[in-house]
Amino acid sequence: MDLRFTEEQEMLKTSAKDFLVAECPKSKVRELEEDKIGHSPELWKKMAELGWMGLIIPEQYQGMGMTFQDGMALIEEVGRNLLPEPFISTLVASFAILAAGSESQKQEFLPKISRGEIKVSLAYLEENGKYDVSGITIKAAPRGEDFILNGTKMFVEMAHIADYLVCAARTGDSAKPEDGITLFIIDAKSPGITTEIIPTIASDKLCEVKFDNVQIPKNNVLGEVNKGYQALKDALRKAAIVKSVESVGSMQACIDMTVAYMKERVQYGRPIGAFQALQHLIADAWIATQTARYLVYEAVWKESSGLPCDKEASMAKAYTNEAYKFVSKWGIRLHGGIGTSREHDMSLYYRRAKAADCAYGGTDFHNEIVARELGFQK
Amino acid sequence: MDFSFTEEQKNKRQEFFKVCAELAKDRMRGFEGFESSYDTDEGWKYHLYCAKEFARRGWLSLAWPEEYGGSGNMMDRVLFAEARGYHGVPGVDVFGVQMLAPTILACGSEEIKREFLPKIATGEIQFCELWSEPNAGSDLASLTTTAIKQGNEYVINGQKIWTTGAHRAHWSFGVYKDDLGGKPHHNMVFLLFDMKTPGVTIRPIKYIHNMHIYNEVFLDNVRVPAKVVGQEHEGWAVVNTLAAFERSNIDDIMRMQRDIEHVVAYCNTTKQDGVPLARNPVIRNRLAKIAGEVEAARMLAYRVADLQNRGELTLMEAGAVKIFESELLERFASLMTDVLGPYGQVKMSRWSPMDGWWERIYQEHFVQSISMGTNEIQRNLIAWRGLELPRMK
Repeated sequence: MDLRFTEEQEMLKTSAKDFLVAECPKSKVRELEEDKIGHSPELWKKMAELGWMGLIIPEQYQGMGMTFQDGMALIEEVGRNLLPEPFISTLVASFAILAAGSESQKQEFLPKISRGEIKVSLAYLEENGKYDVSGITIKAAPRGEDFILNGTKMFVEMAHIADYLVCAARTGDSAKPEDGITLFIIDAKSPGITTEIIPTIASDKLCEVKFDNVQIPKNNVLGEVNKGYQALKDALRKAAIVKSVESVGSMQACIDMTVAYMKERVQYGRPIGAFQALQHLIADAWIATQTARYLVYEAVWKESSGLPCDKEASMAKAYTNEAYKFVSKWGIRLHGGIGTSREHDMSLYYRRAKAADCAYGGTDFHNEIVARELGFQK
Repeated sequence: MDFSFTEEQKNKRQEFFKVCAELAKDRMRGFEGFESSYDTDEGWKYHLYCAKEFARRGWLSLAWPEEYGGSGNMMDRVLFAEARGYHGVPGVDVFGVQMLAPTILACGSEEIKREFLPKIATGEIQFCELWSEPNAGSDLASLTTTAIKQGNEYVINGQKIWTTGAHRAHWSFGVYKDDLGGKPHHNMVFLLFDMKTPGVTIRPIKYIHNMHIYNEVFLDNVRVPAKVVGQEHEGWAVVNTLAAFERSNIDDIMRMQRDIEHVVAYCNTTKQDGVPLARNPVIRNRLAKIAGEVEAARMLAYRVADLQNRGELTLMEAGAVKIFESELLERFASLMTDVLGPYGQVKMSRWSPMDGWWERIYQEHFVQSISMGTNEIQRNLIAWRGLELPRMK
């Protein structure tokens, strides 16, 4: 047992931190948030040059072949600094391609992802807003050498600039919601696709994507027809862990920022950090961050070691969802008035905490997985 | 990062669990954990029996240097604590084994080490901690009980309170003023003495759920040999050393882990209107949340153990796990007494679900949050020492 990052991971964290501070300062984060497109091709290119998109893609697909755990060292810094780019969405889509894709599909897409040439996003939620698999209802019907897809996907991360979408749709009817799901990798420029940005709390460019008789060649089925559930589930489990790691980085940033402010802000002739009423609140926020951190690291370690971890991943996501909201709320409260202004960095974290909660499964959804895994009868 | 145990650790862990599971078979109904050892003669006998079983395997001196009869390392101590917590067996004297022994190792003289460590390792003497006083709780340094040196002896006068197990323990360790004109924090002595010494009077204080766990201890011209740990007048430094050896709480956390398993089994087999409680979405949701928190507590305890193993443990990290674990126990008990409805209030009896466990824990959780530095003091320490926020004068 050694719960520290390895030396290489520490180096990766340091270089990522330096890069993000220099290339993606909060002014840039805010600028991209206010921007209609919300994507900086220059920043994306620099990230690609560092190999970030291919960090945990195997070397045979021109990635860097690092472990899942190594990748999470980077993600923690992404969370600390905030990065308004389709980085995590592309990462999650690459999980699905790795899990379900044929060798030729992997050869086709993964090197392009590694080089930063394409941005990919996972389209799985729908208008019903359900996180569980029964929420997947849109249908793809076979026709000749193609499938024809109709319906609407929701909350697709940065679909408006994605080159490809990995989309989960129904291709068969079954009593069990897990059956009859097929994953497709779809060219986002295909005729019949329309994309619109949904205004959200974090202005993070989640999209509504409408498919109107979109023709998908059968070659673009990821894995087997009707059997996409397992790969989707695996990708979403990893995504939940990724999002939790990102949140832990963000929580630490909230703590650091708030503690610094408590030392510097003077009221009643002393720094506000000298008041015990406030000390206890920040102590609680710090404890929430530490507990989340090691719960999440456990899930990272299990995932990275190939151990089963449905329970741990869901525990991590459920806990972190609430902890990040709690910590960022107290970050704002302890800052007082200034914390509530749109201009202040705390507001970025507070709004992103809600967005992180909604991404890849809310608290109740994950707690239900935990209950099942604990052995509660259904 | 790596959360795995080595093969050797896995084997040892298995051995710890096996022995504790065996010992748990002899446990009386409703008897559980260290605190209840003190309540009844039977409980105390069982505790001493377990202590002997552990001692003959060398488990009371885990992580001590070999020259004092120790073996293994810090991690073994954690694995052993997991097994005891999970199976709810006592046998390890929190005060002697977990607090005093490492303190003696860190700042005791060779003479003190030679005299006391072997007796702690064999379970021959059990300790209590003469610590708080009626007017010195969290602000322990304001204590007024005196120990005045006369030749090779000390004469002690005053009163201690909340002394867990004083009515059972053979010996005590404690802190007293030994220099009435001395500078604050340089006017105390850390002393060991036999609880049978004339002048020691013990009066029980019943705990909230009516168990006899702690006591008042009156010290009236108690004349004891100078068994001093550390230096005279410098007992406060020893107190601080001892505070750093407080526990990772992994035993209490493993007990909660075990409780989760019991609760799942109970909810799967207990029906309301013909439907198992396990299918009630509110119960599922609330217990899943608690289970996630127990897992988080366990990982934080491993973090503490990992730091301790490398000699890097800080008060901040130890405080975090103490606060989180104790308040989680309170939430868990509160939830379970809710889930059981009107039966949540029933003491162990033919009517009580789960042997009245939750009615008991609903009251006993205060042991965790108030003792060993209240959670509020722990929060101060996190703010002052960890986050380096200013301390108001």
